[in-house]
Amino acid sequence: MTVNDKDIAISDKGAKILEYLESGKWPSHVTEIKKTKYPIRAYSSGLAIGETQWYGGSAKIRYVYTGFIARRTKDGKDSELHFRIYHPSGQFYRTEMLRKILDFSDEYGLGLIEVIGQTGGMIISMNPERADEAIDAIRNLGTDVGDTGDTYRDFASCVGPALCEYSLYDTLQARDHYMTYEPIYNNLSNQLFPFKVKLKFSGCPMDCARASHRADFGFIGTWEGSPDVDWGLLQDKIRKDDLKIERLIKECPSGAISENRESGGIKIDSEKCKKSMNCIRYAFPAIKPGKNRKVALLAGGNIKGRFGPKMGKPVSILDDYAQAKEFIMKIISIWEDGSPHKDRIGDMLFKSGFSKTVEAVSSSLPTEIEGHPTGQQRIIASAVLTDEEREGYSKWVDNIVKEYGE
Amino acid sequence: MSTNLSERMKKRLPVPYTDSLPEEIKSNLGKWADRKFHGGGIIEHISEKGDHLFTIKVGSPPNARFSSNTLRVFADIEDKFGIGTLRFTRSGNVEFISDSLEKSLLIKNEIEKMGFHAGGWRNSLWSIGSCTAYLSCTTAVADSSSITKVLYDQFGKYFTDEESIPAKLRISVAGCPTACGGLTSDIVVVGHYGDAPSFDPQKIGLCLPRSAKALEVAVPEVVMVCPMKCISAFKKDDDTVGIQINREKCIACGRCKDVCDYITFDTTKIGISILVGGKSSNTGRGQNLAMVLIPWIPISPPNYREVVAVLQKIIDMWKGNAVAGERLADYVRRIGLREFQKALDIPVTRWNNTEFVSSEFGIRQFPVR
Ligand code: SF4
Ligand code: SF4
Repeated sequence: MTVNDKDIAISDKGAKILEYLESGKWPSHVTEIKKTKYPIRAYSSGLAIGETQWYGGSAKIRYVYTGFIARRTKDGKDSELHFRIYHPSGQFYRTEMLRKILDFSDEYGLGLIEVIGQTGGMIISMNPERADEAIDAIRNLGTDVGDTGDTYRDFASCVGPALCEYSLYDTLQARDHYMTYEPIYNNLSNQLFPFKVKLKFSGCPMDCARASHRADFGFIGTWEGSPDVDWGLLQDKIRKDDLKIERLIKECPSGAISENRESGGIKIDSEKCKKSMNCIRYAFPAIKPGKNRKVALLAGGNIKGRFGPKMGKPVSILDDYAQAKEFIMKIISIWEDGSPHKDRIGDMLFKSGFSKTVEAVSSSLPTEIEGHPTGQQRIIASAVLTDEEREGYSKWVDNIVKEYGE
Repeated sequence: MSTNLSERMKKRLPVPYTDSLPEEIKSNLGKWADRKFHGGGIIEHISEKGDHLFTIKVGSPPNARFSSNTLRVFADIEDKFGIGTLRFTRSGNVEFISDSLEKSLLIKNEIEKMGFHAGGWRNSLWSIGSCTAYLSCTTAVADSSSITKVLYDQFGKYFTDEESIPAKLRISVAGCPTACGGLTSDIVVVGHYGDAPSFDPQKIGLCLPRSAKALEVAVPEVVMVCPMKCISAFKKDDDTVGIQINREKCIACGRCKDVCDYITFDTTKIGISILVGGKSSNTGRGQNLAMVLIPWIPISPPNYREVVAVLQKIIDMWKGNAVAGERLADYVRRIGLREFQKALDIPVTRWNNTEFVSSEFGIRQFPVR
């Protein structure tokens, strides 16, 4: 095959794959992308070859150091540049504002938007030539690029008080509070750290913001004691057969609920309640989170880090989310001074001993350090297989494919 | 245009968040008192003031990718039948907001005409999260976006309530072992090389210091990033730098390739691993990371029949054996990973022989108070 034949073969194969990806019941990303100026050739040849066609690229935007990523294809024919744009806390958009952003993406970019990326921002594909002026344009719309590099990234909160009845504190305000806190705000453009730093805020133990896994510092709303029961409402629900006491008892993972005929059906043991939310979700609003509201602070969670993905470890129970600022700054300064490139805060806490490190700066917290960090197994999601192992898994999967038809 | 350095370096943050809210939400902040589920993606929020708002949750194309055209039509629909506000959820769904059930049904009808689906509440599939992979990522191994498309084609029925499942289900698909979407989904699919790397002998020098002298002061990044210490750098006879890779210790994490485009892998061995048991909420057995169920199966784009069949098998096993309301993650933890593997007859090797330990994360690490 000549080079040209090979190119044609790749492009034919790619076109067939794209066609396949446009069929089926679910809305297709390919159909969306085809309506934009994105270089679809880069995607289709990647699919045809079975390898991503993107290499790291470079872009220069005057005095803007975070918030955009540049790529180029291996054959040098296409380049790509995308902005990571800060969402307002809660990710609500008046349609008027959304239309302005869409106009922006058409004028300065490719008209292609990932409405929320894995890191939390809105990803807009840009025209590299207009990137510099686009910065001014996006700022005029009241937001900005950010969320890349070895610095504070985009922080995240759950929808909280804006639409959720479980929310125990204002998670949206908390995100605004920390994003605008001067030592953080002033460094959103400066890549000072070994790696990235993320804060996440969840209003209750449902942890919709994934504060305990995906944040170096996670805040989770909680309460003291047992959930709050409205006995009248609860009896109403029981009478109307909306709720079964047996199910309430059976589903409580803490074993904290027992039957109690006098009080209205049940008794909740506050010494046992793990704040699992099972009863609250089942019986709301007859059972609600307790009234004595607190915020749990966890540290060291991350997906990407030297020692792999981690869950956050317990630091302290706060009265108010704002109380963690000094503590966070102290931990960051220890990390900044002593950790090699690409070590997350969780990696440092792992190496130097979580309790020791946290205790050393505990005086910066208004509340006591408490809790027992759970040890965690290392998770390896990849594998290097021997030929024999590969064959074993291939055979196994063949049988399942047969069972379910092609 | 401002060219003042310190001015231009300053970020313009979209704060305060209240500026982005419609009056109907601003006046009910923190006042939500109850919710009602109307099925098929519509829920009603009831405030203590007696106001009612409805959200209609709509599933996104893979990787939450939209053209500006489609989003403009969404905005038109919202203006016509809603309160002029859209929301993007952290799982990548789009929520329309309206003030009556009738109008919510009209919104649902409009988006269905466009080929979209509403759903994703309660005992249903909430989302299949996907990273960008071949669309723009340099480290992607498998194309998570196209895997997500075929999974949604197959399992969209659980999103729309067309077929029921025991509890909420979250799936995420990652193109490489970095797993940008995290490991707190019930099922996590991760693309990886399945093999140790080699390197392009001509070009690897571009990732290494020019002269071996540099080795005396610093370890090259491609050596440093390896978590298993399987890459070593040495001085060659001509005083340049060479590297060696120890295949025995390698876990195929791809981090070396992350920092150097000239590390190469044999792409014929690319496959995916499947992890189960991850969960981000504190319900049931609590928050936890998923663990490896199967370390590798081959993939066949574009229909990825192996991935689809295995996930259907896992879901069927859960459907047939879970108690009502029990998440897949909680079910797997109740019976144990080994039992689950046995029931599915999965070969166990050193890559998937870990047992779940009964550990509690999140706020369960604090004493009960
Ligand atoms: S974390 Fe809790 S308060 Fe926040 S949205 Fe989820 S359920 Fe509501
Ligand atoms: S794939 Fe990971 S473990 Fe293997 S050599 Fe590269 S960095 Fe090391």
